This record gives sequence, structure tokens and C-alpha cells, in this order.
Amino acid sequence: MTPELRKNPPAPLAPVAFDIPKPYETTLENGLRVVLIENERLPLVSYRLAFTSGDINDPADATGMTSAMASMLTEGTEEFTSLQLAEKIERLGASISASASDDFTIVAASALSLYSTEVLHLLAEVVLRPTFPENELDLYRRNTIENLKFQRSQPGFLAGEQSARLIYGDHPYSKVSPKAADIEKLDRDMIVRFHATRLVPNNAMMIVVGDVQPDELISELNDVFGDWQRGSDITHKFDSPPVRNSRSLTIVDRPGSAQSNIVLCNLGVKRTDPDYFPLIVMNQVLGAGASSRIFMNLREEKGYTYGAYTRLEAKKLAGEFEATAEVRTAVTGDSLKEFFYELDRIRNEKVGDEELSDAKNFLTGVFPLRAETQEGLTNLIVNQHLYGLPADYLQTYREHINSVTADEVQRVAARLVRPDEMAIVIVGDAEEVLPQARAYADSLEIFDTEGIVQDEAKYVKTESEETANVAGKWKLVIDFQGQQLPVSLTLEQIEDNVTGSLETMLGNGEIADGKVTGNRLTAMAKAEMQGQGIEFTILGRIDGDTMTGTLTAPIVPDPLPFTGTRS
Amino acid sequence: MSETFKLPLLEIEEFSLANGLKVVLNRDDAIPVVSVAVYYNVGSRNEREGRTGFAHLFEHMMFQGSENVPKAGHFQHVMKAGGTMNGTTSSERTNYYETLPASQLPLALWLESDRMRSLAVTQENLDNQREAVKEEKRLRYDNQPYGQIFDLINEMIYKNFANSHSTIGSMEHLDDATVEDVQEFFRIYYAPDNAVLVISGAFDSATAKDLVETYFGDIPSQPAPPLLDVSEPPEVAANYKEWEDKLAPFPAFLIGWKIPPRRTPEFNALFLVGKILYDGESSRLYQKLVKGDESVIQLFGFTDERRGPSSIFVGAIPKPEKDLSKIRETIMHEIHDLSAHGPTAEEMEKIENQLINDSVRMRQSSMSRAQQIAEFALYDGDPTLINSQLDELLAVTGDQIRHAVGVYLNTENRALLDVVPATNSQQKQGAH
Repeated sequence: MTPELRKNPPAPLAPVAFDIPKPYETTLENGLRVVLIENERLPLVSYRLAFTSGDINDPADATGMTSAMASMLTEGTEEFTSLQLAEKIERLGASISASASDDFTIVAASALSLYSTEVLHLLAEVVLRPTFPENELDLYRRNTIENLKFQRSQPGFLAGEQSARLIYGDHPYSKVSPKAADIEKLDRDMIVRFHATRLVPNNAMMIVVGDVQPDELISELNDVFGDWQRGSDITHKFDSPPVRNSRSLTIVDRPGSAQSNIVLCNLGVKRTDPDYFPLIVMNQVLGAGASSRIFMNLREEKGYTYGAYTRLEAKKLAGEFEATAEVRTAVTGDSLKEFFYELDRIRNEKVGDEELSDAKNFLTGVFPLRAETQEGLTNLIVNQHLYGLPADYLQTYREHINSVTADEVQRVAARLVRPDEMAIVIVGDAEEVLPQARAYADSLEIFDTEGIVQDEAKYVKTESEETANVAGKWKLVIDFQGQQLPVSLTLEQIEDNVTGSLETMLGNGEIADGKVTGNRLTAMAKAEMQGQGIEFTILGRIDGDTMTGTLTAPIVPDPLPFTGTRS
Repeated sequence: MSETFKLPLLEIEEFSLANGLKVVLNRDDAIPVVSVAVYYNVGSRNEREGRTGFAHLFEHMMFQGSENVPKAGHFQHVMKAGGTMNGTTSSERTNYYETLPASQLPLALWLESDRMRSLAVTQENLDNQREAVKEEKRLRYDNQPYGQIFDLINEMIYKNFANSHSTIGSMEHLDDATVEDVQEFFRIYYAPDNAVLVISGAFDSATAKDLVETYFGDIPSQPAPPLLDVSEPPEVAANYKEWEDKLAPFPAFLIGWKIPPRRTPEFNALFLVGKILYDGESSRLYQKLVKGDESVIQLFGFTDERRGPSSIFVGAIPKPEKDLSKIRETIMHEIHDLSAHGPTAEEMEKIENQLINDSVRMRQSSMSRAQQIAEFALYDGDPTLINSQLDELLAVTGDQIRHAVGVYLNTENRALLDVVPATNSQQKQGAH
């Protein structure tokens, strides 16, 4: 091929039509809706018995009940123990799992279609005849409590916990996980009663996709679920999420964090919102993917992060818009600046034609990819039915995307992206984060990783403080992975500017760009060590003739703590 | 059951271009999508000392533009055509792949050929990607509890530098990488005769062949890369290490064994041992430790499949106050039992059905087919192994499993890494 021909991307081949088949739907006598797609491509079958109540429908005095009940379904039934169930399912090469999300409870099973009958019987056994054995429940309680503790070591969990609280307030979407005390309270009688009232056919939908015969399947479903008794419908009223009218900053202090986990969020929309299509196109332009504006700016141009994205989470009753990134601590403030720049831009300027068509082409193009596996196709059908989307939703999805205009994108951006009332949540080293992020918000709160409020005075230096005098010779001891390394500093100070020199066992260097603010010293040192130029950042807190702080160098991943005295 | 079950065979067509590029076509038009995978025969095992992390840093550079594709244009072109894409680096290879609507096959081939022919290496791109890689290292390794344990145990298992060092590399070595290093690496390893191209999905075979010849045919070949020695003595490099993890909330441990290369009968048998020991809730260790003794919060295990000496791992995060040495005794007791008595008939039946189920499921997605085919083509020179691999695994007998456990796992030749939360490192967690 000639260099000329290579210059431009090639034209596509003729498009190939793709349609998602419309399912066959029926309702059994006891009210159980059945949705079926016959799919003979490979000898596989997927079942989803989905219930339209989830974690938010927990009883007021029993947080965690729905998830506990779901997890316990496979831990013992009238016919089989927990071990027998696991062995029976896995010996077929199959899987059965049950879990609850905010809005739904789903029991999923998949297998080779050769075993479709056996797996359906096991699915019915765990849903209809679970016994919730006391010893298994006890184990569930203890393991869940341990996992709750473990989660608190994960920065992503800590950020999500705070953002949900700030966005949803008294609405139950605010609870991302139960507390240990909630779990301790769950007892067997409560779960047995709860199971009997919640897992009822009129609250459920059976979705089947796979290599099965429709007539045989309906008759098998009647066999296994025919005697399942109706129950009462489930209705709940919830408090509205709070109205926010200013920008807040919430820091979760995780001392020693190499990175800041940043979440910027505000209340979004529910899944059936009429603006849903323009909103997902807008979100695609702004930050949903690796070619969106936020990623291109924070990762590709600035190199602040491995990934930066926005997310539109639309649940049954409400939703959330959020922008997230994990950035290295030193660029926390710079990252906020770029985030707000992009959030303002999508509201204030109309998107260009090319950017708009790129976003639409992505969303319509990946649609068939999402239906490539039986799992993927099943998820599309399950979501359509659980959220009550129109019957032709999957068939008209691409048309709806293609009809979105630039004006609509700007209108819904102004509606959904609200920088002035966002909650900024940062999980990271509070002492480092606070001075960088404080100016971006109207209010501040700081928590530790256990969720206990901290006094901000612990992290803030007072403005009125006198500039400390750091001039003189300092002997510092650096803690490098348990080893004590001596470093000497000789500092000179003119007003708040600091210069000087540094001596280490490995080589010497000069200090430039030093500054004292209150009792804090910030300085860059350039040193020659074993033939290499290395830059250090020194952060120190001066208290008379002692100084404590950290030294950061590119060759070590985390700041090295030091203590020192003036001679 | 395996006698009655016929796995649908995949259509495989293979050929090579004059410049040495190996091409494999796998046509399946059930869904109008197409996946393209390019596998380069270079991974962290090819890195030299002082340049750890380089193969992975280079992978990032492959998204930074080439003669006709601007910086970050690769993402943009694929996404605006409605596709998804990525690249990954392992010890064995670096792969690049995209899945697109079927009509966009020419675009995928244009993009992959442009960067194979003419990668743009600039100081600015290198500096920027170096920072992105450092953030990836902080995110996935340094800032995660237990994030560094797999890199640490590889240093304990392997003696040969090619095998033992981490793929993410060290910050210091990343800083040392120069533009000249990147250019040299590209010339040596990113040549058509050091790569495999696989197309899987909905396409017309003659059209695909023409497109491949058009886009890749005139990319010059290069001399073969330097020979690589990944040989290992049988013994592990270190039996024990204690690691202070300041982010870990609980103590944990990881045990690793050095085992024979992938697709050897011994490796296949040990791969199946994993299904018996730690895969799923009916597995022996789940039933003993999570259920029976109720002593662990998390149990995990896996095999790391390499062309040279490979490894198998079992690890656990025990509950607070539980005796770690007792948990390890339980693990070794099950291993001993397996080496004495072999698997049960029920366990063999489970393995058989799970293998069949996994093989059928893998066939659903054009991307997973393309990736598996590419591995067989690159590592074994035979993409049709995708159709016989299931039989190879089904042929493993209980006796082979028993024997392999006895030789490789039921021994003192293992690496044990104890993770101690830095805050209570003074309280030693039992003997090892």
C-alpha cells in the first residue's frame, strides 16, 4: 500500500444488520411473569429469577436483611445441605448465585443446556425451600462483619460510602453497606418470615435465554413453580434525597496514601427519566470512556492519573452523576481544577458536530457487542424488564441515540452537571490534600477511615501564624523502610524564601524554591546521587529547634518520614 | 459424558505473509462483530536488568500515535467506530486488541498496521506515559492492601531474572527509560515476524486476506530478537519472607510452587488440581477453611501459565486471632491427601463438566476466541489447538493428578510469604 493511501482511515465495509429478537412472554397462573428468548447458537442456558425489591426495601429495623436472605438461599434447603448444593451445582459444571442490589434481588443460574432441567430444579429448590440453617447464618454474620472491616481498607469503598451519604441523605440509596450492629441483629426467624413475604411470584419475573424448547420450558416452569403461592404486593415510601445548594468538601484521612481518590458528585436522574438518551450521549462526550474529554485531559494531556471518568448511575427511583479519578497526591488540587474546567465547559458550550457524532457512533456501535454472549444478552433483557422500559426498548435503542441533538446535549448537561452544588469527596492523606483542595469548596468536613469526624484543626495551619525561622544547620533522620538514614540540611532564609544545601551519604545537593508558610517548610532539593540527578520534595513542620515531615523522591513510591533537630 | 458431548469446532484458517507475519482467521458470523488481536512475542521476560517495567511502558507508547494516527488517535478511531479496545502486558507477551462492528474490519487493520510500521516515539509522549504508568502502579500495587504480594512471591519462586522480576517494574527503572531505549525496543520486538495477527468474528475470508496483505504486506521484517533463557533450577529462590504491608487490615499469607511449563502433562494435571483445591464452594479448601474451621475471610488460588517454568498459588486472609500455621497445615494436609489418594470420582466428574462448560462459554465472544487462538499460534505455532485443548485436559487421569501433586506440591520446595500489617508487626503471627 502506498504512503498516500495510508494517510486516511479506510471507509467501512457494507453495514451488517443486527436485531435483538423480541422475547416470548407469558404469565403463569400464580402471577409469575415469564420472558423467554430461544437462542440455539451454543448449547447453553441462562435463567434469571428476578424480584423487584432490593436492599432499599429492607425492613426499617433490619438493614442488610435482603442481602442476607439472598446470600443464605444457597446455604441449605429442605432437601440439601449447603455442601450438597455446592457439590450438585458444580458437578454439573453449572453455577447458581443469588444477590441483592439496591432495587432488585436476582437468583441467577447458568449451565450447559444439556443440564437445563437439573439446574432449573436446583434453582427452584433454593428459592422455594431454603431453610436458613442457624450455623450457616452464624457464619454469614461473622464473615460479613469481617468483610465490612476489610472494606474500610479500600479507598474506593470509603469514597463511595461518603458520596452516597452526601447525595441521598435519608433516602435508603445512601446506605452502601450495613453496619456490624445491623448484621448482628439479623436472626433466623426474621429471615424466614421475610423470605415468605418477599420471594413471592407476583413480585418476580423469570427470564430465560438459551438453547431450550419453549413448550417444554413452560411446562417445566409450571411443574416447579406451579404451587408457589402469591403474596402481597410490596410498596414503600422513601424520603426524598436532600436539595444541595453549595459545594462541599469531604476528606477521608488515609495517612500514607500514595494517591487521592477523588469523587465529585451531585444528584442525577432515575432510569426511566425522559432525558435518558441525551444524558448518556452527553456523558459519553464528557467522561464515560477513554476518548472522552475528561480522560483526554487528565490522563493523556496532564498525566495526573491512570484513568479519569464520569458516570451516570440511574437507579429505579433516583440517580447520581459523578466524576472520579485516582490521582497522585501532589496533583489533587490541579486535578480538581481540570475537572471543574471540563464540567463547566460541557454546560456552557455546545458540543461540536464531530464530537457529537463520535459519541453517538460509539454508543450505537458497541450495542451489538453487548449482546455477543448469552450473559450479555440476558442482562439487556433483564434490565429492560426490571426497570419497566418500553417493549421495543432494545429494538429502538440505536434510533433514540441517533436522534439526540447538540442543543439537547447542552440542555441536559445544564440539568445534570451542577458544579456549584457538588459534593467533593477525597480519600487520601488529609494533611497533604487539605491545602490543595480547600479553596474549591464552601464547607469542609474530615473523617477518619472508620467514619468518625475529625477536628480540622489537626490538619489546618492557622493563617495568622508568624513565619518560622528555619535558618541554620539541621540534622535529619529519614526512616527508609525501617533503616535510619542521616541527612544534613544547611538553610538560609530571607523573609519566607529559603535556599541552602543538603548532604547525604549517597551524594549532595542544592535547595531551590524553598518557602516557609507559618510553621511549614516546603522545598525542592536537587541532588546528585551515584551519578544520577534526583529531585526531592521536602515538607517540614517546624517547632522551635525540631522539625518533622516527609521527603518525597521519584525513586520511592511513598513519602519518607523524617525527624530532625537544629544544632 | 464427554463421549456424548460434541464441542462445536471452530473454523480456523492460517497463513503467513512474506514478511513473516503469522495470520489466523476464525470466521463465525452469529453476531455482526469482529475482533482483531495482535500478539507480539515480547513480555517482561525479555527485559534487561535496570529496565524492569519497560515492556509495559512500551505498551502504553503504542497508543501514543504513529505516522498517520495522531497521539491518542487510536482510542478515538476505535471508539467513534463503535468499538472497544485495550492492550495488556504479561511475562510472556504484549497484546493489543479491538472489537468492532463487522463493517469496521478495515479500520482495525489500518490502525494495527500503522503502529506496527511507524510508531511515533517522542520525549513528550514518553514522559507523559511514564507518569500514567506510575499512577497505574500506585493505583494497582502501591496503594492497595496486598497489592504487591504477587510481585514479591515471584521473586521468591524464580531464580532467573527473566522470570522473577515484576511486569509493572520499579519507579526508578521507569525514570531511566530513554527515547532511544523505546526506539530500539520497537525495532527489535515489534516486527511482523515477531507477531501473530488473529481475526475472529463476522467477515468474508477473501476480503479479510486482501485487507491483511494490503495493510501489513510491506512492513519490513527484522532480524530475530536475541535468544532468551528462561530456564530454572527446580528449587525456589527463597522459602520464606515476611512483608510489612502498611495498608493491610489483617495478616495474610501466600504460598507458591514452581511447576513445569504450560501444556505439559504435569502442568495440565496441576491446573486441574486448582479446581479440586480452591475453585468454587464445593472445593476442598473452601469446605475445610471457609466452612468447617471457619478460619479464613478470603481464600484464593490460581496458576500462572508460562512457556517456561510456571507457578501455582494458594493464599488466604485469615480471620483475626486465627492461627496462621494451623491454616497452612490444613492446606498441606489436603495436598498430602491428594498426593496419597488422588481425586474422588465425584471430583473427576466435576472437572469434566466444568471444562466442557468453560470451553463452550469461551466460544461465545469473538474477543476471547481471538485471544486463545493467538496464544496457541504464538506459543505453540498451532492455532488449531483451540479445538483439541479440551480433549487434552479431559484426558488427564486421576492418577496423573495424584502423581503431579506428589512431585510438585507435597514438598518443602515452596515459597511462603507472610503479610503482616505494619501497625502490629511486633506481634508475630505464629510459626511458619
